[in-house]
Amino acid sequence: MKILLTGLNHKTAPVELRERLAIAPEELAGETRALISHPGIREGLILSTCNRVELLVCYEGGEPELASYLNERFAVDSQSLQPHLYQHRESEAVRHLFRVAASLDSMVVGEPQILGQVKESYAAARSVGAVGGNLERLLQGALSAAKKVRTETQIGASSVSIASVAVDLARKIFGSLEGKRVLLVGAGKMSELAARHLMQHGAGSLLISNRTHERALSLAQKFKGHVVRFDDLHARADEADILITSTGSPEFIFRTPHAQQFLHRRRNRPMFIIDIAVPRDVDPEINRLDGIFLYDIDDLQSVAVSNLSDRGREAQRAEEILEHELARYQRRIETLDVVPALVDLQAAAEDMRQAELRRAQSRLHSLTPAQQGAVEAVTRGLMNKFLHQPLQALKAAAREGDLVTVEAIRAAFGLNGTSEATAHADQPAEPRTSNEPALTIKERND
Amino acid sequence: MYLLWLRIAAILYGIASLSAFRAVFGHRSVWRRICLPISVAAWLFHVVSAVEMLVLAHRWMPVGMHEVQSILALLIVTVFLVIALRYRTLSFGIFALPLAFLLVVVPTLGPDRHTFSSPVIRSGWLLLHITALLAAYAALIFSLLASLFYLFQERRLKSKRSPGFLNWLPPLDTMDQIAQKTLVLGFHCMTIGLFAGSIIAQESVGPAYFADPKIWLSFVMWGLYVVMLFVRRSTGLRGRRAVYLSSAVFVVMLCVWAANLLSSVHRFSAP
Repeated sequence: MKILLTGLNHKTAPVELRERLAIAPEELAGETRALISHPGIREGLILSTCNRVELLVCYEGGEPELASYLNERFAVDSQSLQPHLYQHRESEAVRHLFRVAASLDSMVVGEPQILGQVKESYAAARSVGAVGGNLERLLQGALSAAKKVRTETQIGASSVSIASVAVDLARKIFGSLEGKRVLLVGAGKMSELAARHLMQHGAGSLLISNRTHERALSLAQKFKGHVVRFDDLHARADEADILITSTGSPEFIFRTPHAQQFLHRRRNRPMFIIDIAVPRDVDPEINRLDGIFLYDIDDLQSVAVSNLSDRGREAQRAEEILEHELARYQRRIETLDVVPALVDLQAAAEDMRQAELRRAQSRLHSLTPAQQGAVEAVTRGLMNKFLHQPLQALKAAAREGDLVTVEAIRAAFGLNGTSEATAHADQPAEPRTSNEPALTIKERND
Repeated sequence: MYLLWLRIAAILYGIASLSAFRAVFGHRSVWRRICLPISVAAWLFHVVSAVEMLVLAHRWMPVGMHEVQSILALLIVTVFLVIALRYRTLSFGIFALPLAFLLVVVPTLGPDRHTFSSPVIRSGWLLLHITALLAAYAALIFSLLASLFYLFQERRLKSKRSPGFLNWLPPLDTMDQIAQKTLVLGFHCMTIGLFAGSIIAQESVGPAYFADPKIWLSFVMWGLYVVMLFVRRSTGLRGRRAVYLSSAVFVVMLCVWAANLLSSVHRFSAP
């Protein structure tokens, strides 16, 4: 069984092309079913995220034309698709999948969503019976390697977007955001995004204030918040634990005396102020007050950049872990590879024994049943004794990854021609034909 | 036999201290997983050792410095475990566990050579007095630690730089809650302890007991404690000023501890 991975990602294809090939989560199972109905494909999985579409298949015989499959399936002409596609085979495909699952191939290295998306694809493929022994082992290996990377490195520990940095900082101040109140002053894409992110992470309620009251009302409706009149802003700002401001005011809206009043009314409970406006809405001197934590857009940006460089360092450690895991996976696969050889060797010897007994039948038929039983036992014992050493040697060589010895034993017993046919013995979908190897051996012996 | 349990507890405290450092400053999650179970195991051995020691001596009172140190360590680890389980933070372990280890090292060497031989030590009031005060000390240590952590975290957030070696600091709100709660717990323990002590001293020494340096220092400490609690509660004092106040009370606490040398009431020698 061979492995092939074909696909495109954010590095090789523009978003216009990626979105044409994107598969919705609810359609994954159906598409995977269609993929494995392709001739020669035994097992398959489709990974579709906003940054990549990849087809992973285990196949027999000639290499399947996955590119043409994509052309037909998504009605994309091959000329516009071909330059953006990459193909990985065998160990390279394994390495690629391991890197993808560990988020080392992501646009933002270390982002946590990809692992969940790989698991979703895996579940969808399993649900339609597209996962056999080979893909099962491969995905289990990739998922466990990804988990190891997550637990042993800090690759996903720090936030790299402005909104998530704001959430992280809020957590460092308040612990949980549960029940915390956010006040959004002014409007802007970035401030709305930060507010939305805070709400998603548990912030309790949202207050909105805007010079244009109607705008405040529409925002309040959108976020299910409450409006604070702009004239009441200084009187009510202390109700909020987190204040996000992004007005177009040319002057500071919040100065030190305001903040002192807030703290007094809050009995010194801390307040997190995020100033996204340019020019700034909050006097930077406010940050000197105990209990006030002021971050402007540059501060948030610099934290995000510094976290990103930390991730780069962690990614190097993650690559080392991945190499180790890949080697472990390969060793395991090699061990499993000798199982068919062991079975074939025993089957071939048994067939030989049966053939010899049949040949001697005319000379043995005068024997009593007890004597025939003795002959049966002697021949079986001889066969087992004869096979004992080669079987042990094969197992030991597989355990130690000694491929030279494995190949030598295979060659000595004439098993090389049969291993391909029996390599998928663990596949429920494709029952092994046990006669084939026996016949091969017999023919050679005859 | 109790010494054997105490020695095992000491070794486990040592290992738990190392694992706390690795858990807080390192990246490998294995240390985070083992730190708490090792601490709990050490605490259990310590409890067994303390109970066995007191049962063998047919009393419920620590009667020498070794025993008092051992009980204080036990209380400190108890508070650490409660905080670790309640707030899911091991950060206090980097101070509490080595402190517990250092406190039990000397007691593991052997029983006290000099013990308080006064019959008063069998009194239940004295048990209450000493246990409550030791608990108050343990709580105050944690309150000071939490205030210090708060200060570091506050400075870190205000400086807007994010040095990696301080990533382990828990959130400000958690620190504040721990500082406040341990302070209140310490106050109750100290009030009970001093009240019990006053009754014993009135009985055994008479009104002159108040002239003893350890005793009036204790009341100064209690007074400061009340002031600190009032100020923190009424103004929501946090950060730098809270650390100053906690440190002041802590220094007085150390003086009270050291004042045993000057105290005639606390000799507890046989009449």
